Amino acid sequence: MQKALKKFFPVFVLPTLIAFLISFIIPFLMGLYLSFTEFTTVNDAKWVGFGNYIKAFTANQEFVNALWFTVKFTIVSVITVNIFAFFLALTLTCGIKGTNLFRTVFFMPNLIGGIVLGYIWQLIINGILYRWEVTLTFDPKYGFWGLVALMNWQLIGYMMIIYIAGLQSIPEELKEAAKVDGASGSRLLWNVTLPSVMPSVTICFFLTMANGFKLFDQNLALTNGAPSKRTAMLALDIYNTFYGKNDWEGVGQAKAVIFFIIVGFIAFVQLKATRRREVEA
Amino acid sequence: MKKILVILLAVIIVTSLTSCVFVPLDSNQQTLNGSNDSANQPVPSAVSEKAMEIYFLNFKPEIAEVYQRIATDYESETGVKVNVVTAASGTYETTLKSEIAKAEAPTIFQINGPVGYQAWEEYCADISGTKLYEYLSDKSLAVSKGSGVYGIPYVVEGYGIIYNNAILQKYFSLADKAVSISSADEIQSFTDLKAVVEDMTGKKEQLGIEGVFASTSLNQGEQWRWQTHLANLPLYYEFKDNQDFDNTVLAGLDAKEIQFKYGAQFRNIFDLYTNNSSTAKGLLGGKSVNDSMAEFALGKVAMVQNGNWAWSQIASVEGNIVKSEDIRFMPIYTGVVGEETQGLCIGTENYLSINCKVSQEKQNASIAFLEWLFSSEKGKAYVTNDLGFIAPYTTFKENEKPADPLAREVLAWMERDGTVSVPWTFAAFPSEDFKNYFGDVLLEYVQGTKTWDDVAQIVIDSWKSEKGS
Amino acid sequence: MKSGKRGTNVFASVTMILLSVAFLAPIFIVFMNSFKGKLFISDTPFALPNVKTFVGMQNYMVGISKTGFLQSFQWSLLITVSSVLTILLFTAMTAWYITRVKSRTSTGLYFLFVFSMIVPFQMVMFTMAKIANLLHLDNPAGIIIIYLGFGSGLSVFTFSGFIKTIPVEIEEAAMIDGCEPIRAFFTVILPMLQPVTITVAILNTMWIWNDYLLPYLVIGTKYKTIPIAIQYLKGGYGSIDMGAMMAMLVLAVIPIILFYLSCQKYIIQGILAGAVKG
Repeated sequence: MQKALKKFFPVFVLPTLIAFLISFIIPFLMGLYLSFTEFTTVNDAKWVGFGNYIKAFTANQEFVNALWFTVKFTIVSVITVNIFAFFLALTLTCGIKGTNLFRTVFFMPNLIGGIVLGYIWQLIINGILYRWEVTLTFDPKYGFWGLVALMNWQLIGYMMIIYIAGLQSIPEELKEAAKVDGASGSRLLWNVTLPSVMPSVTICFFLTMANGFKLFDQNLALTNGAPSKRTAMLALDIYNTFYGKNDWEGVGQAKAVIFFIIVGFIAFVQLKATRRREVEA
Repeated sequence: MKKILVILLAVIIVTSLTSCVFVPLDSNQQTLNGSNDSANQPVPSAVSEKAMEIYFLNFKPEIAEVYQRIATDYESETGVKVNVVTAASGTYETTLKSEIAKAEAPTIFQINGPVGYQAWEEYCADISGTKLYEYLSDKSLAVSKGSGVYGIPYVVEGYGIIYNNAILQKYFSLADKAVSISSADEIQSFTDLKAVVEDMTGKKEQLGIEGVFASTSLNQGEQWRWQTHLANLPLYYEFKDNQDFDNTVLAGLDAKEIQFKYGAQFRNIFDLYTNNSSTAKGLLGGKSVNDSMAEFALGKVAMVQNGNWAWSQIASVEGNIVKSEDIRFMPIYTGVVGEETQGLCIGTENYLSINCKVSQEKQNASIAFLEWLFSSEKGKAYVTNDLGFIAPYTTFKENEKPADPLAREVLAWMERDGTVSVPWTFAAFPSEDFKNYFGDVLLEYVQGTKTWDDVAQIVIDSWKSEKGS
Repeated sequence: MKSGKRGTNVFASVTMILLSVAFLAPIFIVFMNSFKGKLFISDTPFALPNVKTFVGMQNYMVGISKTGFLQSFQWSLLITVSSVLTILLFTAMTAWYITRVKSRTSTGLYFLFVFSMIVPFQMVMFTMAKIANLLHLDNPAGIIIIYLGFGSGLSVFTFSGFIKTIPVEIEEAAMIDGCEPIRAFFTVILPMLQPVTITVAILNTMWIWNDYLLPYLVIGTKYKTIPIAIQYLKGGYGSIDMGAMMAMLVLAVIPIILFYLSCQKYIIQGILAGAVKG
C-alpha cells in the first residue's frame, strides 16, 4: 500500500505543505534571521548581530518588567485555576442533582474570545472599584488581579472537564478497597484519588501555564498595559515594540525569539514529564 | 456515517466554489487583489482608467463617516473610487507603517508636520507644482524642504478652554461672589481664572453644576488633550526663550534636551482642572473625551479644554442643553508672566501628503481628488458644513467659512487685536512615545502614585531618550 | 452516616448554585448595561436600567451601524467555516499520508508540524503578515490558506494520533480491491475518522472564530471580523462609546452560546480529546 500511496504526495501532502511553508516555515526562518538585523520593512535588513537582544534588555525596563509580570501572573493563575477546577470536579462527581447543568455553566466562559472577555471584565472590575473612586489603571495590582480573575473565569471550566474525566476513570473497586481498609475522606483523597488523577494534573498544569504565558487578547482589552505599561505581559510588550515604535522592529523580533525559547522550554519540560509518566505507568 | 461524509463533501465543494466567486463579487465594495491584478496587466487605457482607485488613509476618526459620503459622491461624479480607511485613534503611525508597505498602499496619507516628514520623507511626493499648493492661502504653512513641497495643511484649528457663558453669567451675577470680575472677558491671567474657578467650585450647588471642569480624560488613547495640547504651552514658552530661533517649532526640533522650565505652570493649570473637576481623581483613568464633552453638553460643568473640532461632539450629545451662542473660548492661562496677551493655540498637525511610491496615475488621481474637495462647490460644501474645517485655502470665500460657534470663535480670536496666538509647538515633540510617557505619568500623578517631581523627571528624560533613538 | 452525607450534598448543591450564579453574573451584567444610556454605564454598572437610564435598543442600533457588525458577522462566519473545512480536508489527507508512508520526509514533516504547535504567534506575526501581503493573501479568501498553514500543526498531529490506532489491514483490503488511494481515502478512511474530525473541527472553530491578532494583521484594515470590530470600537471612532460596546459584547456572545448549547456534547468531547492529546 505504501508504494501505491507514495506517488500521491502532490495530492495528499502538497497543499498543506505549501500553506505550511507560506504561513509558518518561511516566516519562522525569516523572523529568526531578522532578529539579528535592523529593519523597517523586510527588504532593508542590516546585520547587527546580537545588538537587538542586548537592546531588548538594556534600552528600557519594559521587557524585563513584562517578563516578571508574566511569570508572576502565570504562577498565580496556574495555582488558583487548578485548585478551583479540581474541587469543582470533585463536587460534580459525587452525584449531586443538576451536575450536567452546573458543568454546562462552568464551561461556557471558555468559549468566549479573549477580546470580548477582556471588555466584559473591564466593566465588572471598574464597576467594583468605582466604590473606592478608582479604576483599573490606578495600580498595576488591580490589573494583575483583574487578569487573574478573568483567567480563572475562562479556564476553570475547561480544567474541570479534564479533572472530571480523570476522576471518572478511577476504578470504583480501588475506592471501595480503600474504604474497607478504613481510609477516611481526606486520606482517600490524598492516597487514592490524587495519585490516580496525576496525569490530568500534569495536563492541566501545562495547559494553564501555556495559556497564561501566551495571553494577549485579554491583556490588550482589559488593561492594554496601563498604568505606564506596568501590566503589559510578554506578548503585548512584543506587539507594542513591533508596531508602536519606529525603528524598533528588530528588537521586537529579538524579544519574540526569546519568548519562543521560553515557551519552547516549557513545552520541552512538559514532554519530558509526560514521557516519564508513561514509562512509570 | 455516509451521510455525514456526503454532507461534508457537499459543503467543501460549495465553499471552494464560493471562495472562488466571492473575490470578484467583492471587488465592487472593497479594495481587492482582483482589481489589482487587472491593473498590472497590459489593458487598454480606457479600462484601466475605469478601474482607477485611490486610497486615503484618514487620521480623524470622528469624521470618518463624512469621508465615506464624500467618497461615494466623488465616485458617482468622476468614476474614481476613493477607498477611505480610518485608523483607530492613537494608532495612525502604526497603521500607516503597516499599510504603506503593502502592495495596495495608501495614495494619500497624513503627516503631522516637520517631524512626521522626517519619518516619511521617502514616501512624500513633491507637490509644489500642483493647483492644490496654489490654493494655499499662506504658503509658509506647507511642509517644505528646499524648493520642494511635501505636505499641505488642510485645516487650521484652535483650542483653548471652552466655557458655557450661561453658567459663568449666572456666577458673575451672584451677590456673594468672591471676585471683582464681572464677565468672562475680564479673565486674563491664571490668577483671575483660579480665583473664579475655585469660588465657583464652592458655589457649585447654587450654580447647578457638578464641577467647574469636565473630566480630565486619562483613559488610554484619550489623553491627548493633556500630553499634547496642554503640554504645548510650557514648551512653547521654553522654546520662545531660546534666542537662536525665531520659530518655536524649529527651536524644539533642534533641542536635544529640555529643562521643562515652565513645568510648574503646567502643574498650575493641570491641578486646577483636576481639583475642580466633576469627577474624583481616581476615576479619571476611566474617562474618555466623549465623557467630558457630554458633561459639558449636558450642562453639568462650566468649562472643558478642547478645540473647535469638538463642536460636532457637543452638538451630537442627546439632551444637549448648551445653547450655541453660549459656547465661547478663552485662552489657557498657566501663570506665565505676560500671559495677558496670550491667545488661543492655533495651528495644524494635519498635513496631506501624496505617496510617491504609487504609480504616477494614482498620484495624479489623488491630487485631483483633493483639488476637487477643496475647490469645487460640492467639495467645499462638505468641507465647511460636514467636516467643519477652517480650510486655509483661497478658494473659500467669506461666506463659506464654517458656521459652528467654536470655529467662529477661533476666527475671532485670530483677528483680535492685542493677542498673540500660540503656535502648535508640539509639532516638535520627538515621538508619539514621548507623549504617551507623559500621559501615562500624568495619570499616575493624578492618582497619587507619582509625585510632580517624577512627572517632570519623566518628561525631561523621555524627551532626551526619544530624541536620541 | 447517611444523613451526614445528605448534609454534605445539600451544602455542595447550594455552593454549586451560588457559584453558577457568580459565573453567569458577568454576562448578565453586560446584558443589563447594554440597555442603559452610555453615560450611566461606568457610573452605575450594577444597577438595573430605570426610567432615566433605559434607552431601549438604541445602543444596538448605534453599535451595529458604527461597527458594521452585520458585515463583521458575515466575515467571521465565512472565514471560520471555510477555513475549518479546508483544514479538515487537507490536514486529514496529509496526516494519513505521513502516518502510512514511512519515509524520512514523513518523519521530518511530522516533526515540523509538532514543532509549529509550540511556537508562539508573536514569533512569526510580522513576517507572516508581510508574506501574506506579498502573495496577495490579504483578503478573506487568502486568509484561508494562512489558517490552513498555521492550523496544520495541531490538526495533523491530532489526526495522525488517531490514524495510528486504525488497523492498517482495513485500508489494505480496500486497496487490494482495486481502490486507488484517493478513492480509498474518501470512501474508507474519512468515514472512519469521524470522531477525531469532530475534535479537530471544534478546536479550529473556537480558535478561528475568536482569533484577533492574526486577522487584524493580515486583513484587519479592510475586513473586520467580530473581535476586530469590537477592539476598533475602543479607539476607532474618536472616543469609546460604552453603550455601543456593551451591545456589541452581547451580540458577540450570543452566537457562541447558541453554538455551545446546540452541540455541547461534541464541544466538550472535542476539547477534552484535544487537551489530553496536546
